[in-house]
Amino acid sequence: MRRSDLGEFEEVVLLAVAVLSPKAYSVVIAEELERETNQTVSTGAVHAALQRLEQKGYLTSYLGEATAERGGRRKRLFTVTALGGRIMSEVHLVRNRMWERIIPTIRLEWS
Amino acid sequence: MKSKPPNPSNGPSSVKHRPAPGWITKLIEWLCAPHLREEVLGDLHERYALRVERLGEAQARRRYWRDVLAYMRPSIIKRQPTVRRFGQYPNPTTTDMLRNYVKIAFRNLSRNKAYSFINIAGLAVGIAACLLVFLVVQFELSFDNFHTKKDRIYQVVSEFHYGAVSYGEGVPLPVPTALRLDYPQLEKVAAIVAGGGQINIYDSKKQIIEKKFKDEGGVYYAEPQFFAMFDFGLLAGNPQTALSEPNTAILTQETAEKFFGDWKEAIGKTINVGNGKDFYRVTGILKNIPANSDFPLKVVLSYKNFLQGSSNRDDWESVSHNWNCFILLPQNVSPDQFNSWMLAFDKKHKTPYQLSRVRNFIRPLDEVHFDSRFSNFSDHTISPEMIHVLELIGVFLLLVACVNFINLATAQAVNRSREVGVRKALGSNRGQLTSQFLGETTVITIASLFIAVLLAQLTLPFLNQLLHFSLHLSFIDNPTLLLFLAVTAIVVIFLSGFYPAWVLSGFKATLALKSKITAKTIGGISLRRGLVVTQFVIAQVLIIVTVVIVRQMSFFQTKSLGFDKETIVRVPIPNDSISRTKFDLLKTQLVQQSGIENVSFAFRAPADKWTWNTPFRYNRNLKETDFSALLNWADADYFKTFNLPIIEGKAYSASDTVQGYVVNETLVKRLGVKNLRDVIGKEISVWGGMKAPIVGVVKDFHAHSLHGAIPPVLMASRKNNFGLIGVKLQPQNIKGGLASVEKIWTRIFPNYIYEYEFLDKSIARFYEQEEQLSILYKLFSAIAIFISCLGLYGLVSFMAVQRTREVGIRKVLGASVSQIVYLFSKEFTILIGVAFVIAAPVSYYFMQKWLEKFEFRIPLSIGIFLIAIGLSVLIAWITVSYKAVRAALMNPVNSLRSE
Repeated sequence: MRRSDLGEFEEVVLLAVAVLSPKAYSVVIAEELERETNQTVSTGAVHAALQRLEQKGYLTSYLGEATAERGGRRKRLFTVTALGGRIMSEVHLVRNRMWERIIPTIRLEWS
Repeated sequence: MKSKPPNPSNGPSSVKHRPAPGWITKLIEWLCAPHLREEVLGDLHERYALRVERLGEAQARRRYWRDVLAYMRPSIIKRQPTVRRFGQYPNPTTTDMLRNYVKIAFRNLSRNKAYSFINIAGLAVGIAACLLVFLVVQFELSFDNFHTKKDRIYQVVSEFHYGAVSYGEGVPLPVPTALRLDYPQLEKVAAIVAGGGQINIYDSKKQIIEKKFKDEGGVYYAEPQFFAMFDFGLLAGNPQTALSEPNTAILTQETAEKFFGDWKEAIGKTINVGNGKDFYRVTGILKNIPANSDFPLKVVLSYKNFLQGSSNRDDWESVSHNWNCFILLPQNVSPDQFNSWMLAFDKKHKTPYQLSRVRNFIRPLDEVHFDSRFSNFSDHTISPEMIHVLELIGVFLLLVACVNFINLATAQAVNRSREVGVRKALGSNRGQLTSQFLGETTVITIASLFIAVLLAQLTLPFLNQLLHFSLHLSFIDNPTLLLFLAVTAIVVIFLSGFYPAWVLSGFKATLALKSKITAKTIGGISLRRGLVVTQFVIAQVLIIVTVVIVRQMSFFQTKSLGFDKETIVRVPIPNDSISRTKFDLLKTQLVQQSGIENVSFAFRAPADKWTWNTPFRYNRNLKETDFSALLNWADADYFKTFNLPIIEGKAYSASDTVQGYVVNETLVKRLGVKNLRDVIGKEISVWGGMKAPIVGVVKDFHAHSLHGAIPPVLMASRKNNFGLIGVKLQPQNIKGGLASVEKIWTRIFPNYIYEYEFLDKSIARFYEQEEQLSILYKLFSAIAIFISCLGLYGLVSFMAVQRTREVGIRKVLGASVSQIVYLFSKEFTILIGVAFVIAAPVSYYFMQKWLEKFEFRIPLSIGIFLIAIGLSVLIAWITVSYKAVRAALMNPVNSLRSE
């Protein structure tokens, strides 16, 4: 697994894009992550992650429609590329494999 | 989930656009790369709107701030490399627009020629004055700054207790040697003493004088340590040893060239100083002393020769202002610490009596130029207050010029409202307009800057002549000048450009296009009035100052001094044993000449710059008086020559030694004697000898300059101390008299150079500084008035244009020319009146303080203030009426036809 290519936050953002597609853009992603993690997530952080992911070729973007609450500005909408999808499933597989190897008794003591 | 209930006041309505808060948005807008701007700002906005709904305004605002801060990262700031294709997105701030701004600026300047001339001329004069003031202040502050050990060099000075405490820069002669012995930790102790005398250059056999050089000052005796302490570099010779032998001398390059043609030739040659026996071998050549030094050395002789010839070698009480001593403090000794040592030092060496008379302490080198309690070798001190006053005047003159600019520019604004309207309609924003108008100010300022430098260059020679300086305007030698000019330019641009630009850019496009902008809508009328008042306050203060100084000057020149000073020449005479034998011959020959009324030998003229003061014993008292009297040695004819009336007793009879004393009224008063007659016959003794009775009392005369009070004066005849002859010439034959004095004098003293000076001229030199001041202030007030009037003229011409129609209507309705002129001048007269109310008390306060420095002074009468207001009103009226009359004389048909 190419760890260095996908930071933890990037991974979550990538997931969020996949979940929210085709209406994924930084505000909804940040809001979604806030809801899921109960942590405040700044648009700036999300935006930076999106920029990096796009650079790596995991995401692609285009300018979407403008809305009033944006002061008439357009939003940049993101979709996951094929490469992005492959990386996601790769990560997913690694995680799953490792989860399955955990001995159940120990697992019970956690919660 | 952290969310709170929605803000009830907002209700569950749909999410709307809300303006995001404050300057932080501006910041991110500016910071963010253009290609990201839209999405980033959109995101921020949307998020903010969402949060307002959910969390309320305050919380949303806080989060918004955090969000924005989170955006401040390089990837956001970094601009995308743009390749501008033809026709794609023209950028209004690129060269096209800038070129347009410059073009418009120049067109405007050339269209309103009078306006631009007034602005540029006013600013140029203001900046030039400021520049000159800067040069002078810089020069004054630079005195002796070039010595590397400057901060550790101290001068030992004296505090005298003869009645009142007074100060002097000289020290008793034994001080340097004693200091060296007592405090070996002092790195350097150097004595330097001002001497003088004619310099002769003999032939190789030391028989015949080949060249004679007049004593022009600059002759000093110094210890070699002096050159190790101060950084006066030597071109040739060793600074450590050049003066260590007796009969050695150092010349500056300049003097060496004067004496011997080439300074390289000078080494090893001998010079003779003061026609004495002593010959000095030149052992070193000193680099020419820079103008900003208080040590105007020209010829420096071995200190050993001076000590050998002095009778005061071991005298701890006598002090001359010429006897100076400098020390180099070690790094670990503070001046306060050393001063406490000085106390012990004085106690150790002086008798209690001497200690009660003269105390010594040290002062740092950087006070030598600025402490007016003392003098120095260059005889030129300037108090820090004086420097501040100069700086203030410079700033004020600049301010007056800037005020002009603001006034004219805002007045002019109406004419440009149309342009502003068009620009705004075409999409210029306020910032762009502001920068456009600031740009125009910059063009004007830079133009004035160049003219100012030119003006300063042209006037500098006059200033140098006036102040006896040798300043020059060179940007290469003086890079600070460039910095100063740059700072001045920036200050001027912002001070004078910002307000008009702000006003102009603030016009509403709709109003401006409809030509609905008039002087009234611009507002700022009260501001313009305020500025005019400011200008005139400054101008009037300067006028009052000038009038006071000029009056005081003429008071100095016309006040009777109690003795004759017209048609009297003072001619220095040599006083060595051989010359003394010729005194009688000189006098008898002179008196026989036609054109000469009277001749008298004396030590000093009745009023002289340098004086000799000493306490004395009166009436066989054991103790000396607790005040010192001014000592003057003069022959019996002195009183007749200078017309000094004896009011009690008689003058002493002719004699070469002290046979009787004449004192003045003040001395009798200081002795506590009521009746003048009672002092006659009482014995006086000076320096424990020279006992003789008082034979007469002379009427008080001004033996000092009018700066100080009349001192007690003690006079007697003593040939050994005669230093000059006072020759009273017949007023109708001054030329002939002068010629015969020179002829006879040079015949009797062939080895000496003849010099003479009229007494009234030498007395006028007491007031040189005030004279310079008065010329400077005349200049400053002229400049201030000139600039203020330029501004006034501009304002009135503007007003005249604005009110053309009004004037036309008034004329049609029967107003006379004078009524219309009154209409224009009324307001300015009131403004000048207001300015006067401010200027009068301010200048009264300062001039009262200035006058208090003089013992004899003019009263600050109302007349002076009336002159000031009268003058400013008059000048303002002349300025105003020129335009006003023209407006009034205009044919109303022309002005009203446009309706």
